[in-house]
Amino acid sequence: MAKQIYDVIVIGTGAGGGMAIKTLCEAGLKVCAINAGRRLDPEKDFRYHRMPWDMKFRGLDDPKRRRQSFGYMDNEYTKAAWDHEIPFTVAPGTKWMWPRCNAVGGKTNFWGRSSARFGDIDLRAASRDGYDVDWPVTYDEISPFYTRVEKMIGVASTVQNRPSNPDGSYLPPFNFRCLDFILEAGCNKVGVPYLPDRCAQLTQPHEGHPACHFCGECTTGCDVGAFFSTPYFLLPKAEATKNLELRTNALAKNVLVDENGHAAGVAYIDRKTKQEVEVYGRAVIVGASCIESARIMLNSKSRRWPNGIANSSGQLGRNLCDHLYGESARGYLPQLLGQPSFPDHVADSTIAWMPRWQNLKDPHAEKFIRGYSVYPDGGCTEFPWFANDVDGFGSSFKREIKRRYPSPVSFGIQAPSLRSDTNFMDLDPEVKDPYGIPVARVHFEWDENVLKMWEHSKQVCAEVLRTAGGEFEGSGQDPEIPGWSLHETGTCRMGNDPKNFVTNRFGQTHDIPNLYVCDASVFLNCTDKTTTISILAFSLRTSEHLIENFRRGEHTAA
Amino acid sequence: MAGQGIRRREVLRILGTAAAAAQFPGFSKWTFACGHIGNAVLQIKPAMYRPQFFTSAEYAMVERLTEVIIPSDGTPGAKEAGVAEFIDFMVASDPEVQYGFRMGLAWLNAHAEQADGRRFLELTPAQQTFLLEPLGFKDKMRPGEETGREFFRMMRESTVTGFYTSEIGYKELDNPALKFYAASPECPHKGDPEHAHVPQGRS
Repeated sequence: MAKQIYDVIVIGTGAGGGMAIKTLCEAGLKVCAINAGRRLDPEKDFRYHRMPWDMKFRGLDDPKRRRQSFGYMDNEYTKAAWDHEIPFTVAPGTKWMWPRCNAVGGKTNFWGRSSARFGDIDLRAASRDGYDVDWPVTYDEISPFYTRVEKMIGVASTVQNRPSNPDGSYLPPFNFRCLDFILEAGCNKVGVPYLPDRCAQLTQPHEGHPACHFCGECTTGCDVGAFFSTPYFLLPKAEATKNLELRTNALAKNVLVDENGHAAGVAYIDRKTKQEVEVYGRAVIVGASCIESARIMLNSKSRRWPNGIANSSGQLGRNLCDHLYGESARGYLPQLLGQPSFPDHVADSTIAWMPRWQNLKDPHAEKFIRGYSVYPDGGCTEFPWFANDVDGFGSSFKREIKRRYPSPVSFGIQAPSLRSDTNFMDLDPEVKDPYGIPVARVHFEWDENVLKMWEHSKQVCAEVLRTAGGEFEGSGQDPEIPGWSLHETGTCRMGNDPKNFVTNRFGQTHDIPNLYVCDASVFLNCTDKTTTISILAFSLRTSEHLIENFRRGEHTAA
Repeated sequence: MAGQGIRRREVLRILGTAAAAAQFPGFSKWTFACGHIGNAVLQIKPAMYRPQFFTSAEYAMVERLTEVIIPSDGTPGAKEAGVAEFIDFMVASDPEVQYGFRMGLAWLNAHAEQADGRRFLELTPAQQTFLLEPLGFKDKMRPGEETGREFFRMMRESTVTGFYTSEIGYKELDNPALKFYAASPECPHKGDPEHAHVPQGRS
């Protein structure tokens, strides 16, 4: 019986996999996409329009399951979308959390929607400060892809004329709240920027998608699709071509190779039957998210690839970077005490940010190289978390909570770790998951440079808060646990030199022409900015390069 | 991930020991909502709540404590919102906190006996408040009462959680999450970005 051979097998349906699927299907290629988890049904699975008191367990699920929760987005509102079955391990001394959304669409169902473009300050950072190497792609090359993505998905912002944070094609921005104007005035006096964030959320209807209705519950899943996610924006277009077969509950195990060592397909575990299944294609795209993609490729051992597929550089799994997150400052704004409540919580607080202002002209102006951004937040949040800091009890306590309700502010840093030999993932030599597959083992520690950024942010944010007329109350003792940001990068770095990089400048592995990678694992490092829109832009470029290779006859059947 | 308040995760960690069921048959006052915004109707189910963890005597203390912490005083308080039911259900579902609550209540009775010769619920409201003030107000703290202060902190945190995730609590704050909005909400204070001249809010 002739086995079916697709044109492309795509592992993963997040930003990277999703963009690849849509692009390839629309170009006429037959795609089989495999996804580790199930489809989500917004009507059943997104419960955010229910109030906490409607939820059986107050939005956080049975307490026995709650103990395994990853945090704010892994709760009763979106249960069964986050993976708790596949373990991972850490090296001694490493702390790491690794939330994985294995439902179709991955983290795009719940992401923070901050969508700034990388600029040359990021892509050419090494030329500026001498650390590490430049990316093999310039801003001029990637800019048109950012523009096409912004037009596809809809991003709300303003033109800001700051090359370090390049402008794109934008919808009208979210309006500033009271706290934004107050903090902006403080930032202006201190000399740091306070600007509308690039928020991938629809302030007006866009490409057939409805505008946002400002309910503030974005990260528990939008049931109207008013912000980009693969299931709302990309899969319908792919499915309309009739070129897509999507297999769910399919956990990718390894990439198959032919006798020439080229990719021949993917072996996966059907999570319902627990059986191993093979699916064959002329090319394979791995887009399972940074650490998981490297895990799959490291587990793809064969005679030809004893150290993992396409790993002649030895860099597979290495160069892991993450964003350091932490509460740089918190306090309150006396100007807002006793004011009527205001919808500060809309857009789930992705309204304004303080984009990187450090080392813009002189790369060594600060005690650290590169730079970080800060996300301010506050005002009338859905729960008055500050109440536990108010003194006393009784009527005065109740009144004081109401009085302070509009006033709290906090500042959250987003700082890039530097690429380092100590930070990487590999396969645990002993531990296997329930399907017998070796698990990922993470080795990670914050470097001195990023910790200096953390200290710096605490000083600046306290100064901004005070200058804005606010009362400073404290900052986080420590940064959040590594992995918390969900922005890890680096495990399949792209570069021009096959000896030191896993993929080339198009995300195609150096070793195997028909094996490509479409997620943040190809990024050399984190920047001050988030990753999703860049994953979309780079994946679009990689997909079109793959299509071109097909047209040139490079990926024929084995 | 970007832009998510750090505190939100902490809130949900607190809420994580919370459990309240709109469908749970035992609640008499705890849940009020009948569905979506705009249609919410106050409903009090007639049945008496039977505690799952606390004894009747303990439960009566918990109810009184929630009332003292967030009283009914012009606007509904923790008692109307059934916060005691929430706390009992939460503690019943979370073995890790049970010892602390039980021992804290015992401490409070022993403390009342020592101070006033009677158990906590036998005191007058004024005496109860007087007993609790050194546990809840920083400027009234006394040495030797660390156990009591820690217990009171736990009770207060649970009361705050239970109250402000109820519809009564949402209305108390005029929580903006009770509404949707047709357009991106904008600061109404034109011409005063530093908000130096906003009308002084109510205290």
